[in-house]
Amino acid sequence: MIGLTLAAAPLHAADPDVDALLASLARPAPDSTSFVEVRYSSLLETPIVVSGRLEHREDGTLLRRVETPYEEVTELRGENVLVQRAGSKPRRFSLDRAPELRGMLASFGAILKGDRPMLDRHFVVTAKGDEARWEITLTPRDDKLKRRLSAIVVDGAENRAKCFTLEEPDGDASLMALGVAGPADLPAALERPTLRDWCTGDTRQ
Amino acid sequence: MTAARRTLLLVAWIATVAILGWIVDRHLVIGTDLRLFMPSPQTRQERLILEEIGEGPASRMLLLAISGPDPQAAADTSRALASALRTDSEFRLVANGESSLGAIPDSLLAYRYLLSPTLDYSALDAGFLRRQLEERVRDLGSPAAGFLESWLPRDPTLELLTLADSWLPARQPQLLYEVWFDAAGNEALLVAETRAAGFDPQGQRKAADALQRAFEAARTDGSLRLEASGPGAFSVLMQERTQRETQWLGSVDVIGIVILLLIAYRSLPVLVLGLLPLVSAGVAGLAAVGTIFGTVHGITLAFGFTLIGVAQDYPIHLFSHQHRGLDARSSVRALWPTLATGVASTCIAYLAFLFSGVRGLAQVSVFTVTGLAVAGLTTRFLLPPLVPESRRDAADSELLGRLWRALAGLPRPLWLGVAIAIACVAYLALSPRPLWENDLGALTPVPRALLARDSALRRELGAPDVRHLLVIEGKDAQSVLEKAAALDPKLKTLVDRGLLDGYDQPARYLPTMAVQERRRAALPEPDQLRAALDEALVATPFKAGIFEPFLADVERARQLPALGPADLAGSPLETRVGSLLLERHDHWTGLVTLAGVKDVTALEQLANQDPGTTLLDLKQASEDLVARQRDRILWCLAISAVLLVSVVFVALRDASRVRRVLAPMALTTLIIVALFHATGVSLSLFHLIALVLAAGLGLDYALFFEHAADDPAEQRRTLHAVIVCSLSTLLVFALLGLSTLPVLRAIGITVAAGVVSNFVLALLLTRPRGSTTNDR
Repeated sequence: MIGLTLAAAPLHAADPDVDALLASLARPAPDSTSFVEVRYSSLLETPIVVSGRLEHREDGTLLRRVETPYEEVTELRGENVLVQRAGSKPRRFSLDRAPELRGMLASFGAILKGDRPMLDRHFVVTAKGDEARWEITLTPRDDKLKRRLSAIVVDGAENRAKCFTLEEPDGDASLMALGVAGPADLPAALERPTLRDWCTGDTRQ
Repeated sequence: MTAARRTLLLVAWIATVAILGWIVDRHLVIGTDLRLFMPSPQTRQERLILEEIGEGPASRMLLLAISGPDPQAAADTSRALASALRTDSEFRLVANGESSLGAIPDSLLAYRYLLSPTLDYSALDAGFLRRQLEERVRDLGSPAAGFLESWLPRDPTLELLTLADSWLPARQPQLLYEVWFDAAGNEALLVAETRAAGFDPQGQRKAADALQRAFEAARTDGSLRLEASGPGAFSVLMQERTQRETQWLGSVDVIGIVILLLIAYRSLPVLVLGLLPLVSAGVAGLAAVGTIFGTVHGITLAFGFTLIGVAQDYPIHLFSHQHRGLDARSSVRALWPTLATGVASTCIAYLAFLFSGVRGLAQVSVFTVTGLAVAGLTTRFLLPPLVPESRRDAADSELLGRLWRALAGLPRPLWLGVAIAIACVAYLALSPRPLWENDLGALTPVPRALLARDSALRRELGAPDVRHLLVIEGKDAQSVLEKAAALDPKLKTLVDRGLLDGYDQPARYLPTMAVQERRRAALPEPDQLRAALDEALVATPFKAGIFEPFLADVERARQLPALGPADLAGSPLETRVGSLLLERHDHWTGLVTLAGVKDVTALEQLANQDPGTTLLDLKQASEDLVARQRDRILWCLAISAVLLVSVVFVALRDASRVRRVLAPMALTTLIIVALFHATGVSLSLFHLIALVLAAGLGLDYALFFEHAADDPAEQRRTLHAVIVCSLSTLLVFALLGLSTLPVLRAIGITVAAGVVSNFVLALLLTRPRGSTTNDR
């Protein structure tokens, strides 16, 4: 099915067909994938690296399980976010308090479902690259979101998204590599340019 | 009296009434605090109860629900509404679940170390800071990073969050889009505390209007609906319903009485003249109440006018006795002894309420006594010269003649009266059910559906119980706060054991100065803190130097004087603390509101451990108060009954006449009380007032029947007068009896039944012997 869609899509080196790309990326729930997230903050000397699994459930709940270096579960259900970490009080908040998270979820959800209209509602969508290596850039439309999120860049190869990068206006960023078991699979140096290269590079080893 | 002088008299009378009415209208302040009709407190405990019933935070609390097809729109409206209400002078406190982080003013930010309990169990040392910073690193790696990051340089221990969390209700509704929602996620929920007391319908009306205006401006979507529940909303609702019904009933009354009087006298001038004593009575009554009490309660007005409606009977007696060739002035001289006896004895009955100890009833008493006296006197002295000569004579009515002859043929079953009286007394004495209704709420009951909705919202919101309340008293604010803080762990135990859903107490927001000073003393000196921070930072990826704002804040906190209640002015804490910690009559009162009380005994035990702490059961306490107060009113009525009998005795000077005059009203009262009891109606204060009104009417009827001489023409005129009087009264009160509001229905049914019973009994027992000489 995916192959057919891709085959039917007119592929252009500078302008891949986003609809076809999205259709190929769709992953119906339940779905689960491992991730490594690297977070850069102006408060920190070195980035924070956590890894674990992302689970997408049939009821629409998204679970972000951190397994190393400590255990933490974030449950994203509807508008509510619940962060539970061993040894500390559960923290509840809603997406209104974390617009960048809402943006991230919207893009994530839309990509999992292949929902182009939803993406368009929140973002200006641009794409580049080709079938083998592509990059979709999502720029927020909403002013409130713009203040907290400059862009989401999704890098991938063929029918698989590889990296979700959230770029914040203050220069902070967080990069989530999907389908990667642990930090060991990433380059040893976690500087942003190195990781960017890794994301846009060909991973078919 | 010449026509010119008659006109002059009429004009002067109307002008006097109009001018007095104008003055009264300009100076009269109409009060609406329902507590005026509750017993006045005698003891400190009673005063506390009445204060809490009307002024406690629970009574001011409005529970709001915004519903619509789109929850997001409801949430946006909740936020806009809350921020509008926060600046509205009608509201003291508004909560919708929004984070209070931004609500804390900059000036109080440094106080977080004195207000938050953190320093009670850990010092700001290297170990604590390291643990906190490690957590913060993990926070930065979590989805919460976005909103926490900007706070960290100033507040790495997230003290502000700890504080905001400690201010949240123990059990709060779920948050959707950052605001409270019901469990189903359909309705945005808010709590608003009004400035006006719950039992001040006028103030609550203003708050309701302000709420509606704010909602109209805040709604983002036309399909959204706002619902308000709580004591204040109910008092507005009930007042509106009462007003609507009385207005409607009033218009029907006026039309009915005008038709009745036109049929009875077929004269427009008589109709207009008949109103003058009543209008004079109303204006004089208002002036008297205004002079003595300064204000007049809305209920006094409604009640008083109902009660002085009797004054309409006085001119009717005069008009019915009018006939060709008779000057009203001589007619009134003949009627006056009877009329005066009636007026005097009714006034005596109402005087009993002056000593009832209930300020509202004292107002009603002054109003009625003044009004009736004025109506009686104007009927005697001002009205007669104005009455046009009548071309008609009630005595000419063939119908009345036949009626009177038929009545004369009726037996006079005195023995039956005695038997009925004994039966009623025996029944009432032997019945095990309580005769009286003590529940104030039963008088103005809120529709069941609304009450169910209210308790559902209350459960969802964890809003305080309107019935139970812990009250802490002390000579100053600090001792009250100290006791409140001591109670806190005990209350928490009750919550943990499931005996209580939640509670709120002032020391949660404002710790005692001693506690604040202890925390301040625990704050490390700048060098010490810097060293501890540097040591803690070694193990973390945080950059050096980013926590300078934190160091500055702690140093600022070390210089701060401890906060007292007066220092909170202008901050959001002012209203929170202000509704739970109050200065009253040179002492301080702290309130602990309770939510979802499941075990009253446990709370009683808790209160008993400390002499300054009382558990108020507002419902039970107010019922006790009502019962005690009623006993006093009954005593007053008993005394006035003795006085009334004396007046009638002095007027009639004959034991058998006195007996015949008093029998109908005494018997009627007994019959009505017994009938109510038999049909399961519990008697309230309002029944009591209505019974006195009915008794007064019965006395009038009996006096006039008794007065009717042997002259058949006079007898027919008396019959005419009493029929017109009783029909007009019956019309007014039977309509009132149809009301959906229990207070109005109670009065209506009581008086209507009284009119019928008094009329029948007066005919059977009181008519003069002369007319019954043909009997048996």
